[in-house]
Amino acid sequence: MTAPYEPTHTPREEHLARKAAEPDVDPCDIALEAMPGYVIGDMAAADQAWIDSHAEQCNYCKNELQWFERIDDLLEHLGDASAGADIPTAPRLRVHKKVARYGSMPSPLGDLLIAVSDDGICEISFGRSGTDKFLALLDRRGFEAVADQQAIESASAQLREYFSGRRHVFDLQVDLTGVTPFTKAVLTATSEVPFGRLLTYRDIARSIGKPNATRAVGNALGRNPVPVIVPCHRVVRSDNSLGGYTGGLDIKERLLSIEGATLPVV
Amino acid sequence: MTDSATLMSFDTLVDMHQREIYRYALHLTRNQADADDLYQDTFLKAYKAFDRLDASANYRAWLYRIATNTFLSAKRKANRERPLDVAADGELAAVQEDQPASLDARDLLVEVERFIQTLPEKQRVALVLRKYQEFDYRQIGEVLKCSDEAARANVYEALRKLRACFGDRV
Repeated sequence: MTAPYEPTHTPREEHLARKAAEPDVDPCDIALEAMPGYVIGDMAAADQAWIDSHAEQCNYCKNELQWFERIDDLLEHLGDASAGADIPTAPRLRVHKKVARYGSMPSPLGDLLIAVSDDGICEISFGRSGTDKFLALLDRRGFEAVADQQAIESASAQLREYFSGRRHVFDLQVDLTGVTPFTKAVLTATSEVPFGRLLTYRDIARSIGKPNATRAVGNALGRNPVPVIVPCHRVVRSDNSLGGYTGGLDIKERLLSIEGATLPVV
Repeated sequence: MTDSATLMSFDTLVDMHQREIYRYALHLTRNQADADDLYQDTFLKAYKAFDRLDASANYRAWLYRIATNTFLSAKRKANRERPLDVAADGELAAVQEDQPASLDARDLLVEVERFIQTLPEKQRVALVLRKYQEFDYRQIGEVLKCSDEAARANVYEALRKLRACFGDRV
């Protein structure tokens, strides 16, 4: 991946567990006070762990934490909406949009539309959702789309190998321009799930340090611009149902059967 | 002007940062026309001052400071021109208690967007820089000319207000 997610600063440890253990303190006050930092990603692991364990025992705080996660999720959506807005051109300001070269390839899942920028593969859509939708997605992320079948050759060669079972790991750069930090974090964590293995939305939420953000993780995976390459199909629900898939659940099933992955998650 | 400053031409500066500055303008103003104005004003001011800029300056932080100050002073001016009773911000949206109990996702986004506009400016700037531009609190403090802790407090307060206003309906 070209854009690994890194926290913007080192979280400062607040020793919440110790503070909450003081006799004249209500642990709920400590937890509620810390929630904004928790959802925005400022919290040291030990403090996070304390809030999680407190929320496990306290329904009020658990609810409250989920509301905060939901607010963060809404802000995340607002970020996506403005990611690819057109930049106005003034006489003095020349605007260079980043070029995405795109083409299509046949696959067992139907045609795939693939776009590649100078920084890596930036968009994959299942042909059934249409070229217009694909081009609109590129536009929204701020790319200028240029038809160029040759440009996708190396990506499509690797995908062909994957579909025929001869490739388990992709050796491709991914360009996540225009993707918000939280979604990037989710996609980066998801790209670590190996071929044929399944994890749950909750596992991913835990691995990015936001154990309560299960729903937000699902939403972020729904915005995966490069399905198959970033294997969001390997993430399912903790109740062992498949969960969702933007391309259609039949595609998710098909991909998992190519990889020989079966529920339940172990 | 030293050699390194000559190496960084104004065009290069624009090429490097125009996308993120425009996105920043959109997040601050939440409306395309105002974002266009803010973006143009920012680069126009930057262009006029570019030759005087120290070669060792952090160009990116400098652009953010120009954009932020331009935004804040435009807001102050607008507030002065508005009658007093609507100038009070922050509390405005919280009063709208007679809303339907739940909203569909799109309505909700529109409302969150509207609510962010009613936040005090520094809170809005801090939230946008932390959430969308991936700034740390030291950098936010530099843009807003306040301490790291004040920057952090502004972000948290914005989140608390959002939660207080929407928590039971999201």
